[in-house]
Amino acid sequence: MTAVQPQPPVQDGVEVGTTATTAVKGHSRVPWRFLTGRAAFYLFTLWAAITINFFLPRMMKGDAVDQYLSRNRNVSPEAADALRALLGLDTDKSLLQQYVDYWALLLRGDLGVSLLHGLRPVTEVISQALPWTVGLVGFATVVSFAIGTIGGAVVGWRRGSRLDGLIPVTTFLSTIPYFWLGLLAIALFSVNLGWFPIGKAYGVGMTPQWSAEFIGQVIHHGTLPAATIVIASLGGWMLGMRNMMLTVLDEDYVMVAQAKGMPNRRVLWRYAARNAVLPQIQSFALSIGFIVGGTIVMEMVFSYPGVGKLLLDATNAKDYALMQGVFLVITLSVLVANILADVAYAFLDPRTRQTEA
Amino acid sequence: MRPRASLVTLSVAAALVLSACSSGQSGSSDTDAAAAAPGAALTIAKPDGAITTESHNPYLGDSSASKYGYAKVIFEPLALVNPTGDLGTTPWLAESVEWNDDYTELTVVPRSGVTWSDGTEFTGDDIVYTFDQYLDGRLTDTAGLKYEGATVDGDAITLRFGDSKFTAQARVLHTPIVPKHIWETLDEPNTDPLTEDGLVVGTGPYVLDSWSTESVTLTANPDYWAGELAVPTLHYVSYGDNAALTTALVSGEADWAQAFIPQIEASYLAADDDNRFLVSPTTGAGTLFMNLQTKPFDDVALRQALAWTIDRDAYVDIAREGASEAVWSVTGLGSVLESEIAPEYQGESYSVDVDKARQILTHAGYTWQDEALVDPDGERVSFSISVPAGWSDWNTQQALIAEELGSALGIEVRVDQPDWGGWDAARQEGTFQAIIHWLEDTGNAYGLYTSTMDPRWIVDDRAQFNFGRFEDPAVTDALNTYATASSDDERTAASAVLQQAFAEQVPAIPLGAHPLLGEYNTRNYVGWPTEEDQYASADPTQPGIVQILVNLEPVE
Repeated sequence: MTAVQPQPPVQDGVEVGTTATTAVKGHSRVPWRFLTGRAAFYLFTLWAAITINFFLPRMMKGDAVDQYLSRNRNVSPEAADALRALLGLDTDKSLLQQYVDYWALLLRGDLGVSLLHGLRPVTEVISQALPWTVGLVGFATVVSFAIGTIGGAVVGWRRGSRLDGLIPVTTFLSTIPYFWLGLLAIALFSVNLGWFPIGKAYGVGMTPQWSAEFIGQVIHHGTLPAATIVIASLGGWMLGMRNMMLTVLDEDYVMVAQAKGMPNRRVLWRYAARNAVLPQIQSFALSIGFIVGGTIVMEMVFSYPGVGKLLLDATNAKDYALMQGVFLVITLSVLVANILADVAYAFLDPRTRQTEA
Repeated sequence: MRPRASLVTLSVAAALVLSACSSGQSGSSDTDAAAAAPGAALTIAKPDGAITTESHNPYLGDSSASKYGYAKVIFEPLALVNPTGDLGTTPWLAESVEWNDDYTELTVVPRSGVTWSDGTEFTGDDIVYTFDQYLDGRLTDTAGLKYEGATVDGDAITLRFGDSKFTAQARVLHTPIVPKHIWETLDEPNTDPLTEDGLVVGTGPYVLDSWSTESVTLTANPDYWAGELAVPTLHYVSYGDNAALTTALVSGEADWAQAFIPQIEASYLAADDDNRFLVSPTTGAGTLFMNLQTKPFDDVALRQALAWTIDRDAYVDIAREGASEAVWSVTGLGSVLESEIAPEYQGESYSVDVDKARQILTHAGYTWQDEALVDPDGERVSFSISVPAGWSDWNTQQALIAEELGSALGIEVRVDQPDWGGWDAARQEGTFQAIIHWLEDTGNAYGLYTSTMDPRWIVDDRAQFNFGRFEDPAVTDALNTYATASSDDERTAASAVLQQAFAEQVPAIPLGAHPLLGEYNTRNYVGWPTEEDQYASADPTQPGIVQILVNLEPVE
């Protein structure tokens, strides 16, 4: 198969490239059939995911009241029935009826109350944790992706040079178990050197506000967790980009570009890297979806608020409402990220639109 | 004993890291202390992960106020029952508390000169209102109080209960007292988060200052009835897990905690001379429950042999790393209940005596084949012992028991570590063979005996306690007598019956006292409970924290 150089949006059908021969016609049209097909697929996935979210937790052994009793020893086991009433678990509705009710509530935006968090609404519980996860893990993922991709492109371009040494180093760093990396970072930078706090999102006694002091604290507290995430995930991005670069650099059009005397910089970024980055974009979109799931180990090591620990605790406590809420958020974000990736891909790489023809 | 550190490796790793760098530690924390000495804040820490949802409701087990424990310094109870030491009762918001003979009525005299933190005077009406909320169903009776109403006679208020509260005195006395003038305005007192302005009003030593997802700050109540407080500010924080909490305690970022810290000597105590760790044994105990309905535990001889073989000191020293106290008495009662042990069992203790155990088994018709124990029916004796995965201390104990019984008696013990749900179902339905479990805590000998021998826990064929399903009418009678007796003599007689049954039948084997733990330091404040003076446990989530806070004084 001949590799096809992706086209920048073409004006008036004037072709800029030299080797592109196909997929020019469909450029200016919106690929409707492609998009509706994807939309139907995503709606089905959403329904399936929500249904599984509903039934899966209910298949686990034990119920929320038993868990509540085991957490709160001061509650008399004799009060279990009273507790069921309090927690709203005394219904004898069938599973199917509960499922229908769940959909009805869901469509009204009501996710129920979290048993584990003082019977507060699930939306409130999640909204307290989600910004921290998205902020920290999202930022770290973007940074890691950017550094890894650019670094991988450069390393791939200069193959055989000393820069190649970066690959085993970053790969090695990403094979260190994350909790160990985190503990080492805390031991070194927080405990011994005292440069950074041990954990948490901001200092004790601080109230969230838009002030320089508070933002400074958030950055100060977030540095170590973010840095460790970047270090732990850099290797994958860099290795992937570098390997794609090596493949792309062997392509004829790169050789042609070089042969006709194009500046190296232009060949590297406009020709080679631009093609090599496509799979990276795909995995980036996927990882955006997983950001929302939180990184539970980071949250535990750095005592950082976030969705991961929320989900773990909810699962352990059989807090169905909260579990479903978190799963819903994760599912939605994975789907949205995938849609974005699909769309971006459809525009970036004409081959994915070939099904049209 | 709860799944406190689900990532055991993590804690161990942290301990290693910390002990490796603890040498450089004491210097930095000393300077911290020097800088902050007068009026330093105390930071109370928990290892529960970020607590991000605000609710100050003291009646709700999973509100942020209950999880952190700061409800205990805002809302005070009528009296404080010491869970350790002398097990004594100290009247607190009441000037006196007195039970009638059969413990169905409690007469209290409200303390005078106490004001709520919004300036309103505290009166007996508040006490009556607090309890009346259970009567009209505004509050769910999660503590099983069966409250039936109050009568007011001058100063004295008499609260009446549906059954004897002898075995649940602490549950009654520790009910947080709330202000009538605020709580009568709440629609849903069960679940109201009290987050609106001016709702968090208590009589306690501290008042809520600020709440954020990372920490909660309380400041000293200037009009506190019990006098001036040495500590001006309390911070409550929660770390991701035990490892992070340990790091915070070592670095001085946190001052006071109640966590089970692995290798505490190296990872915490050695880091600073001022660091203290107090283990307060309570009446509860980590106990080996056996399923008396099935082989091999339907034979009392085997249970007795186990009681003579399992090394309780190993449980304390290895599994609990010192954070417990061995229970050797044949009555199953631990050191804080020594005074309740009947005269004929005083000093009667188990020990690790393999010869005796083998003798008991031989008498009962057991034999050995290639060092493997064979029961009188000719079958090899083996069983599985089950504890949820991640309960690191009891997981260790499983391995210890398997090793001890394997090498000493030739019993094949399989170690089973299911998830909580599976374990929970097996213990309730009686499909387990052996489990390690805690006891119902009643503050007296009743806790052990009801937890191990009382059929009342089995409802609809599901057991909440008495998992082995022991049943003996004489014992059941004695248990009921103990719980409802109207005189101490009656109770002592019932207790003797229970102790005899427990010693002879061995329905369960207590291993070591369930302790309340406390890590604190004496950098800025002194007056903490110590091993010699356990006026309260050092656990900051217990109601006794107010006694400690009143008792603290700045260090010289």
